[in-house]
Amino acid sequence: MIPNDSATLQHFDPRAKLILVLSISSLAVAFNHPIVLLPLSAVTFLAARFFGVQILRAMSSIRRLLWVFVAMGMIQSVFTPGGEAVLAVGGISLVSTVGLVRGVSIILRIVVIVVSAAIMTTANPRDIVQGLSQWRIPYEITFMVAVVLRFLPLMREEAEDTLTALQLRGVRLETLPLRTKIRIYRHLLYPLIANVLSRAEKMSISVEMRGFRAYPQRTSHRNLVFSPRDYGVIATSILIVMGVLLPYYWNWLPTS
Amino acid sequence: MMETLLCASGLGFRFRPGAPPLFDEVDLALQPGQVTAIIGPSGSGKTTLCHCLSGIIPLLRGGETWGSVTIKGKPVDQMRIPEIARNLGMVSQDPEAGLFFPVVEDEVAFGPENLCLEPPVIRARIDEALGNVGITDLRLRNPHRLSGGEKQLVATASVLSLHPEILILDEALSQLDGRGRWMMERLILRLRATGKAILMVTHDPNHLDVADHTFILSNGRLSPFHGDWAAFPAGPEGAC
Repeated sequence: MIPNDSATLQHFDPRAKLILVLSISSLAVAFNHPIVLLPLSAVTFLAARFFGVQILRAMSSIRRLLWVFVAMGMIQSVFTPGGEAVLAVGGISLVSTVGLVRGVSIILRIVVIVVSAAIMTTANPRDIVQGLSQWRIPYEITFMVAVVLRFLPLMREEAEDTLTALQLRGVRLETLPLRTKIRIYRHLLYPLIANVLSRAEKMSISVEMRGFRAYPQRTSHRNLVFSPRDYGVIATSILIVMGVLLPYYWNWLPTS
Repeated sequence: MMETLLCASGLGFRFRPGAPPLFDEVDLALQPGQVTAIIGPSGSGKTTLCHCLSGIIPLLRGGETWGSVTIKGKPVDQMRIPEIARNLGMVSQDPEAGLFFPVVEDEVAFGPENLCLEPPVIRARIDEALGNVGITDLRLRNPHRLSGGEKQLVATASVLSLHPEILILDEALSQLDGRGRWMMERLILRLRATGKAILMVTHDPNHLDVADHTFILSNGRLSPFHGDWAAFPAGPEGAC
């Protein structure tokens, strides 16, 4: 059964999710054949669905890059020789079977990494910090992770606000020629950077004035403890890794 | 004789050497159990003065200062920020900038956790701080999805949880609705009764009722204010 209660989903220890995500994305980086990547994609989509990831939203956030990935796949298909010709013009092979496999692999690899990374977005950033701290990663580093998670959407909001302010003043970006558009975006960058720097300074003042680094150690009102279902997630991660590594060592998988 | 918790003497500030001073010869003493209010027109340097009094200037921000500021008798320029934070809490006029966790209770817990308090004590402080500003029901909400006034209350609670002896409220009531202001004014009175020294910077003359002393910062000088609105460049309406 797929639970859809966000509170229940957030109760998974983020460390368990992190282990799963690292396992899946490491496999996607290490193996580049569709025989591995296709089932890995299926497992990733199932896991993402289980953790309540809005897959379409995750994909739409990188929709502008999707064309780049598809283009990369097509370039690999065209320029990688070997195998039989799938598409040939005048006796010259344009798309070969090996090239096609490479192209599909690249697209699958990126999809696996993006969708698996989206699993971490279902974890509470504060829990991620807490989990990493309990793994004895210095708080300065884990806190930076939390701040980055806070700042990225903030920068997007800031950019959208500045764009809206521009449009309210009558600038219709879609009708402008590319050169003017680039010039406007360049001007947009200055207030954006200035605002982000100002926010960063205010945040650092607030953090310092609340006793950050007052002592070498700090305590926490939370304590994350692995529950049986977290162990279930970790066991699943191990099974996924073994499910790829064992056939690889037994030479059941193609080498490229 | 009561111990002065925060004392500024002959304090002056300019943004860079050679620039005209933003303010000069500021003398101010914050006593336990007293509320001091500072009013002044926009751009008169109220927030910068708060930063100088809290050690943010010169310890975290640039600018040229002269004169002296002491917290419990110790010059701020000889203190480290964490040491100041154990004695002084400051709620800024831009609460959004200081909120970075996705749950209100984590935001409030951040200070006590930095002070290495035991988890049960931290939880008690969260309860107390949220209860004090009347936002117990927001405990598990995302602070970034709250209204401006609610964010201001969360920012206040996150400072109160540190139990500072000196509290600087830099226009901390500006975004609150009627109920929020009433809650905060009652809170200020309660904190005063417990012996805290409170400095309140405000634009709103209605907040002056809770103040024991009121000063006006205008034309670079801090002087006692006795309700003489003619001294205020825009009058009481302009101050609101």
